[in-house]
Amino acid sequence: MGIYPPSLENLIVQFSKLPGIGQKSATRVALHVLRSNRDLAEGLAQSLIDVKEKIRFCSICFNLTDDDPCSICRDDNRANGSVCVVEGPGDQLAIEEAGIFKGRYHVLHGVLSPLDGIGPEHLKIGKLLTRLEGERIEEVILATNPTTAGEATASFLSRLLSEKDPSIKITRIALGIPMGGDLKYMDRMTLEHALKSRLPVTR
Amino acid sequence: MTTHISNAIIMRTWEFGETDLLVSFFTSDKGRLKGVAKGGRKSRKRFANCLDLLSLVKLEYELKRGRELYFLHSGKLVHAFPGIRSDFSSLSLASYMIELTETLFPLSVTDKEMFALLKNAFLALNEGKRNGVLRILFEAKAMALGGYRINLDKCCGCGRPYAGEGRAAFKQSKGSLACLKCEQESKLSPGLSPDSVKVLRVIQSTPWDKAQTLDLNNEMIREIKPVLKLHIEYRTGQRLKTAQYLE
Repeated sequence: MGIYPPSLENLIVQFSKLPGIGQKSATRVALHVLRSNRDLAEGLAQSLIDVKEKIRFCSICFNLTDDDPCSICRDDNRANGSVCVVEGPGDQLAIEEAGIFKGRYHVLHGVLSPLDGIGPEHLKIGKLLTRLEGERIEEVILATNPTTAGEATASFLSRLLSEKDPSIKITRIALGIPMGGDLKYMDRMTLEHALKSRLPVTR
Repeated sequence: MTTHISNAIIMRTWEFGETDLLVSFFTSDKGRLKGVAKGGRKSRKRFANCLDLLSLVKLEYELKRGRELYFLHSGKLVHAFPGIRSDFSSLSLASYMIELTETLFPLSVTDKEMFALLKNAFLALNEGKRNGVLRILFEAKAMALGGYRINLDKCCGCGRPYAGEGRAAFKQSKGSLACLKCEQESKLSPGLSPDSVKVLRVIQSTPWDKAQTLDLNNEMIREIKPVLKLHIEYRTGQRLKTAQYLE
């Protein structure tokens, strides 16, 4: 039997199931909820239920959304010809927050990882190929992360897409020295990419 | 406790807390280890892109008193094997090699030859060597290093030495050749020609550099592949998860 009343103990247990929250943090949050007014608890409970009931995948790009299709897929002002392929909703959000890409997205929901038992059949790759048939896509931007699994996924997609439609333009996001980076601390792969992808200086 | 510096191959990583990484790595001098890289997901200085899967790195690490996990201080990328990263079939084979190594070598079991085998296999994969041949070379050598060398010298039934004449069958439960009088060729006891037996013997006993130059024709590959598959499944007691991506 715990030192707290069962209902509080249960709340601590539930909070400690969340990633990055240990027993101590869970206790602190639970006690905060207990001390706060009823509105906070009701709002929190309702938000949790809403997120489970309302959030689903967009049937076109497979991003998380309240409405299907999502706001980006519904937006007529966005360029239809280019699709940016990302690993997960977080990556799509990062690009969207930068505000520089005005095309469409496709969320794969993972990367190829044989060690974790994740193969092509576990990702939204088939759906991307279906989109090529139904939409007038001129360019596919492969924006998976430059990790081993991300690179392998990009090259796998590149081969698959060019087999499906040889006329389609397939591009990969650039790799190299990040803004604010320091050459001294760069690894040889990054330096190699940066030098290979160097650009002429505009005068 | 002293700090060690070893060449290592990154086998697996798991996100740990907000910015840390739990890393499984195979070192040249201490075998397979597990450690925590504090800030490993964000550090641009201590772990500049060196904790990516399958990378060959120079790691600095130490075992804190009373802990089971090593503490990773820093790392430097030695080779990222770009040829493996840019091809899914190569990534699948490299992942299979990692899984087989994990199965054969428990934590902290040192084997310099196994480290060299893994590194050489990755280098060959990176250079675009034929995946079918590489798989056979790696499987046969890894099993031999793990203590499961296939007996190719004599029949496991009657004990008659195999003189390299006529076909023989592979008996899974014995991990050995059997003459056709003692064991009939079948799906569960695949047959081997004298040339295939000779090649398999050379692969098991010679260093990587020499084994790599062997000329395996398609017939040899077709014969040796099922033998090694049955041998691995029987000795490890499982079908490796990554094997499904090799076909």
